Amino acid sequence: MNTAGKALLAAGVATAVAVVRRRRRTPQDQSADRWLAVTVYRSPEEVQSSLPDDLARWRDQVELRIQPATGDKGTELRVKPTGEVPAHELRLALRRAKAVLEAGEVVRADTAPTHPGPMGKVLQLVTNRAGGGGRL
Amino acid sequence: MKALCWEGINDVRVQDVPDPQLLNDQDMILKVRLSTVCGSDLHLLTGHIPFMQAGDVIGHEFMGEVVEVGAGVTRHRPGDRVVVCSFIVCGRCWYCRNELYSLCDNTNTNPAITQHLWGADPGGIFGYSHAMGGFRGSHAEYVRVPFADHTAIPIPEAVDDMSALFASDSVPTGWMGADLGGVKQGDVVAVWGCGAVGQMAARAAQLLGAERVLVIDRFDYRLRQAESAFGVETINYAETSVGEALLEATGGRGPDVCIEAVGCEAHSTGPQYVYDQVKSKLKLEMDRPIAVREAIYNCRKGGSVFVLGVFTGLVDKFPLGALMNKGLTVRGAQQHGQRYIPMLLDRIASGELVTSHLATHVMPLSEGARGYELFKKKEDDCVRSVFRL
Ligand SMILES: NC(=O)c1ccc[n+]([C@@H]2O[C@H](COP(=O)([O-])OP(=O)(O)OC[C@H]3O[C@@H](n4cnc5c(N)ncnc54)[C@H](O)[C@@H]3O)[C@@H](O)[C@H]2O)c1
Ligand SMILES: [Zn+2]
Ligand SMILES: [Zn+2]
Repeated sequence: MNTAGKALLAAGVATAVAVVRRRRRTPQDQSADRWLAVTVYRSPEEVQSSLPDDLARWRDQVELRIQPATGDKGTELRVKPTGEVPAHELRLALRRAKAVLEAGEVVRADTAPTHPGPMGKVLQLVTNRAGGGGRL
Repeated sequence: MKALCWEGINDVRVQDVPDPQLLNDQDMILKVRLSTVCGSDLHLLTGHIPFMQAGDVIGHEFMGEVVEVGAGVTRHRPGDRVVVCSFIVCGRCWYCRNELYSLCDNTNTNPAITQHLWGADPGGIFGYSHAMGGFRGSHAEYVRVPFADHTAIPIPEAVDDMSALFASDSVPTGWMGADLGGVKQGDVVAVWGCGAVGQMAARAAQLLGAERVLVIDRFDYRLRQAESAFGVETINYAETSVGEALLEATGGRGPDVCIEAVGCEAHSTGPQYVYDQVKSKLKLEMDRPIAVREAIYNCRKGGSVFVLGVFTGLVDKFPLGALMNKGLTVRGAQQHGQRYIPMLLDRIASGELVTSHLATHVMPLSEGARGYELFKKKEDDCVRSVFRL
């Protein structure tokens, strides 16, 4: 690999590491006082009556709000932890619930390569947590 | 099975990888027949999109035959011949329902990466890095197609395999540039880049009513191909001043619609090329927006610029002043393939949209590395290398 190539890869990994670090540095209680939300392209009634297990199982540990989204965009589904629920788990639960309600299932990732290389291993650290990370 | 894998920067190799399995009810397994390289892959090869792992199967523009379907697949049966859009789509989120398919909410399995990078995550793509879902690509004997009912489209009898292949990615991409760029009857349209995407954008502009279409590149063999396939006018930017040629062609106004089909590794004959290359090597700039700058500068007042070329991050010297003061509309998108593919297949069947000339180099997958080398270096008059499985 040439030098420019290495620099580019290193930059990618730096972004990747930043994603991981940001996740680790976020204390659970920081997210605890804000609502996490997704908009589901289904009616509030449908969301209410068929809340997927991924989210329903946290029912006792979160405050949950279901309200119509503006402009016919469906339903806003919001949760705020009342107990010790990692924000990572809640993001994952919200995304999975949305996918099940809209598309019937959560698409599974393809199996990872067997020899990702050192940079690829760092990236795998990120992707292993990416389902519960992000700006949600 | 055999598959062409990314093994590092500028290093692709055929490897043995496990056969794909049905992982979801709505999955199907496709036996790939044809799979082509795309300009977007070059951004992976050079490391512009640094979210790759060694051993990742690449390739996202393909067609083939259905061999196995999950319990939730209703529109396809084993034996069906289908073209698969490069974007994996659920078909039922708000974005899919509004035909903004590449923005699908439910198909990127690693949303955190692009949410941090861009503020929100687009949909998943085959073989296009872990930032876009980490799905295995199509340069392989078999590929798993998630949400198969929505991601894959049946090919009409009258369309042969090679013509259908490009309906996966380059044809809908080009069409989208002309359509969402707002091409109208009587327009003058300029297209930067004379690869498959630029050529398809030029043809789409003609079919949408443009009166004159000018395509810009430095490779004469590509410009000649576009001239003879579609009767477009051409500008070789290595020999002619693009700005002057466009003013001359438009009576001093500038093109009504400018379509950029070059991307983040644009080339230039001017000093700005060296500037951009140095800056991107030093990581002070991620992408080289040379053609975008030129499109914005040369577009007529109140005109529209559509960015089809792939960019990944931040650019330098973006002509915001020209955009603002000339009242331009600038738009870009990854392709919303499912919105156009059925219509495009019909146009291919009717003969008004020719695509198969793009396949200048057809070869077995075992020659994958050579195929990429030819395509990357634009050697031997290569427009697209196509792998026959
Ligand atoms: N938006 C989408 O969904 C989508 C889909 C497919 C491809 N793409 C992108 O479209 C772009 C083109 O893809 P392709 O397969 O046609 O690639 P390609 O490499 O075959 O073609 C690119 C062409 O641009 C020319 N070029 C370079 N610098 C130029 C400049 N300054 N002015 C004019 N022409 C210049 C090159 O000589 C080349 O012929 C790539 O960036 C690719 O990533 C986008
Ligand atoms: Zn492509
Ligand atoms: Zn969708």
